[in-house]
Amino acid sequence: MNRKTVIIGIDGVPYKLMDDLSNKGIMPYFQKLKSKGIFRKMRSSIPHISSVSWSSIITGSNPAQHGIFGFTDLIPNTYTLSFPDFNALKVKPFWHHNENKKYVIINVPSTYPVKPLNGVHISGFISLDMDKAVYPSSLLGKLEELQYEVDVDAGTVRTSKSLFLKKLTQTNEARINTYRYLWEKEKWDVFMFVFTGSDRLEHFLWNAYEDKTHEHHQAFLNYFKRVDEIIGEINQRISDNDSLIILSDHGMEQIKTNVNINYFLEQTKFLYLDKSKKEYNQITKKSLAFSLDPGRIYLHRESRYPHGSVKEQDEKNIIQDLTETLSNIEYNNEKVIKKIYQKQEIYHGTELERAPDLVLIENPGFSLRGAIEKNTLFEQDPILTGKHTLEDSVLFVKSENADKIVPPSPTVEDMVSILSKLNK
Amino acid sequence: MVKKNYKANKKFHNKDRTCWNCPAAKLKGNVDFRGCGQSRKIMSARGDEHIMIECKRRPELGRYEPTITFEQCPQWEKTKYGHLLKNMRIMILGIDGYLGWTLALKLAKLGCRISGIDNYTRRNCVKERGSHSVVPIVSMEERLKAARKVLGVDIEFREMDIRDRKKLKKFLQKEQPEAIVHYAEIPSAPYSMIDAKHAIEVQNNNVLGTLGLLWLMKDIVPNTSLIKLGTFGEYGTPLTGRPLFEGIFPSDAILKWDNREWSLGGELTPRDPISFYHVSKVQGTFNVYEAAKYWWLRSYDVMQGIIYGVHTDEVAAGPNLRTRYDVDEFFGTVVNRFVAQTIMGLPITVYGTGEQIRAFIALEDAIECMIRLIASPPEPGQYDVVNQVTGLHKLNDLAETVAKVAKKFGINTQIQRLENPRIEAEVHPLEVESTKLPDLGFRPKVSLEKEITRIFELLTQPEIKKRIEEKAHLFIPKTTWSGERKESEVLEVYEPGTKKKKGYKGILHQPQK
Repeated sequence: MNRKTVIIGIDGVPYKLMDDLSNKGIMPYFQKLKSKGIFRKMRSSIPHISSVSWSSIITGSNPAQHGIFGFTDLIPNTYTLSFPDFNALKVKPFWHHNENKKYVIINVPSTYPVKPLNGVHISGFISLDMDKAVYPSSLLGKLEELQYEVDVDAGTVRTSKSLFLKKLTQTNEARINTYRYLWEKEKWDVFMFVFTGSDRLEHFLWNAYEDKTHEHHQAFLNYFKRVDEIIGEINQRISDNDSLIILSDHGMEQIKTNVNINYFLEQTKFLYLDKSKKEYNQITKKSLAFSLDPGRIYLHRESRYPHGSVKEQDEKNIIQDLTETLSNIEYNNEKVIKKIYQKQEIYHGTELERAPDLVLIENPGFSLRGAIEKNTLFEQDPILTGKHTLEDSVLFVKSENADKIVPPSPTVEDMVSILSKLNK
Repeated sequence: MVKKNYKANKKFHNKDRTCWNCPAAKLKGNVDFRGCGQSRKIMSARGDEHIMIECKRRPELGRYEPTITFEQCPQWEKTKYGHLLKNMRIMILGIDGYLGWTLALKLAKLGCRISGIDNYTRRNCVKERGSHSVVPIVSMEERLKAARKVLGVDIEFREMDIRDRKKLKKFLQKEQPEAIVHYAEIPSAPYSMIDAKHAIEVQNNNVLGTLGLLWLMKDIVPNTSLIKLGTFGEYGTPLTGRPLFEGIFPSDAILKWDNREWSLGGELTPRDPISFYHVSKVQGTFNVYEAAKYWWLRSYDVMQGIIYGVHTDEVAAGPNLRTRYDVDEFFGTVVNRFVAQTIMGLPITVYGTGEQIRAFIALEDAIECMIRLIASPPEPGQYDVVNQVTGLHKLNDLAETVAKVAKKFGINTQIQRLENPRIEAEVHPLEVESTKLPDLGFRPKVSLEKEITRIFELLTQPEIKKRIEEKAHLFIPKTTWSGERKESEVLEVYEPGTKKKKGYKGILHQPQK
């Protein structure tokens, strides 16, 4: 018998929220499912952002293997930020593991531009041109008819939260109609469908979740109600022999304050900027280190950057100084940094050389930022109220042998291995 | 007030410009990774938001922020005019004209890939008024052949009216220019004042031609910079003596009224055109300004002083490469006309008091300015204005200078004042700001006397002298701004050097070194 697997992604949804909303009856379908499978907290990638995390989820590998360390990286020998995409991914995603199986992959972040596969692939954010976001391209007309959009325009939220919510719903409904269409039309073995509006909603309106009097509280809950209905619908469409995985790439929590790491590095004489230049071109020869979003610290190596000045023999001392200095950042007598990882502690693989030298893990509520043109260490975010968390993304697995194949403390790197062991 | 902190005349004035300015950068929108969100709108970077681009020339770079500097980018090569995009694709609209042809040769010689359109409006208008270019010019076909043979350059030419949007669309799609120089306008004040038909044709060609071009650029080449020729005549000559800023008020310009104050910084300065032709130029300014605002197009509007001269190394490289030279009342610019009159042994004709002060620039300098503008494209959505001028001269003084140079060629001449056919201020102050081009490394290279000397050298050649003689009856203006057609009466004739200088003196704020 042909057993099928469905993977439902809910971008940025924390374990806590899924548990809370299902207990409260807002996600009744998931509530019923919970007891029929394994529902665990999953550890996100380091750093805990979508591009890194989804790349680990779909390849089962470590960032130093798949090569994606953040939404941004610097183009070699320049200070120009590049936004690595699917072309930069060094490890094949699971849908290229078995050419005999047929896949439908909808809206997985960081998979643009798409490449041919046995099946259908519509990439998730960031997707710039529709014609490079869809395989096969013969599907473009149908998607246009379904008014499919990869993402709600994030600019809208600045103009009107209500309009943003309206667009979020429209985008979500079009995506749901697309999944329904492809579910019926395609013959598939693995079907992966990711909700990404969840992440947008949480970033911009996390306060609407926590504050019951917030004018958009109900709209916030409604979104997850709809997600739950689709979980229910999909669960109903599959048989008991099929497997269902529900997962998220990272968690979310309320922002207490933003922390501008590059500003801190400037103040502590690790970073010197020439303000007449633009963006990271401001980094001058005197600089020893700088940060990229969210808490990645790079030594300003002589061998790697146009004005790099850090020599190999000094690296160890600078790393030590940086670690000591950064661990002292305090906000109202509260430590901002929970843990500082050196790259060899967390990364392994051929891309290790390109990895950040240090990665900062923050205490709850602190949103670490790598923007370079800031003139204060702490600031309230003008737009965002939610920030990612490391430890509490979601993993739910329903299959015959789920209890045997889900590790006790899963991480995003385990998904591909779980997938390969399903129904065996 | 003269600014003292001019940037030094850096050879590579544009080295710190980035992809943000580069026409090869395809703007893909805006992204805020912290909110994991993407926007198709193009916004400038706001701290945590990044602008995403792809490079048409270096697709292997993927998507990135537009911060690679011209100095870092291998596509921007060093030239004597600063960094210039390798084999830059430049389209010149009005390539057969006085400026268009001259610029085309200079750029092609620099290694740019030049394309151009023209429907020979200028040739036809001059012919219609009974005149011809006194420096003989060959057909476009012959010009292109000469360019290939003498200079070793190929130019892609299409005969086309700028208003033929269907044709222009195809050509833009094919050529994908990285800069567009727009000279395709009818450049004559008196021509626009002949009668309704001529006024309408000037405005139709100039205004609608530009408007149609903007719509095409929006769809086909939205990242390409448009360098559009304006004119000092757009500003007029404010009698208060208010300086002519570079199109846009500086931030410290203040409007005071009713005991209250407002900053005018960033607003367009007033325009006070002085003919229906100049009105068409003002209208063009507004259309370009709006297009930049609505569609993120980028443009330099070049307020060019009155142009004169005959020389660049390229046009002088062979007889079939020469650019045109007109001397009639419609298309002959003032210095060019004065020299021709002198060579004919006729008095130099000055309109009215001759106290009018105008901005001027020699052909060679004007062409260099254009190249520097091409090399330093504005930012997306930026409409900028430059005053392209190297000297302010009173018409009386110009006449004296021409007479002085004429003497070196053994020609004695007189100056005669005519009734002014135009309606314009005849006595006025003039103060002009011109610092943007110097900031791009431009310094005037050709003095007035030097270029007038070059003109004499060329125009005194027998064949050309003969061609001037054939059209000498067209020197004296017959087109008046009042609508009456009559030849201007002579007010006064005098010997050069016999008049005392008086009245206002033009003030130009521009570094000379």
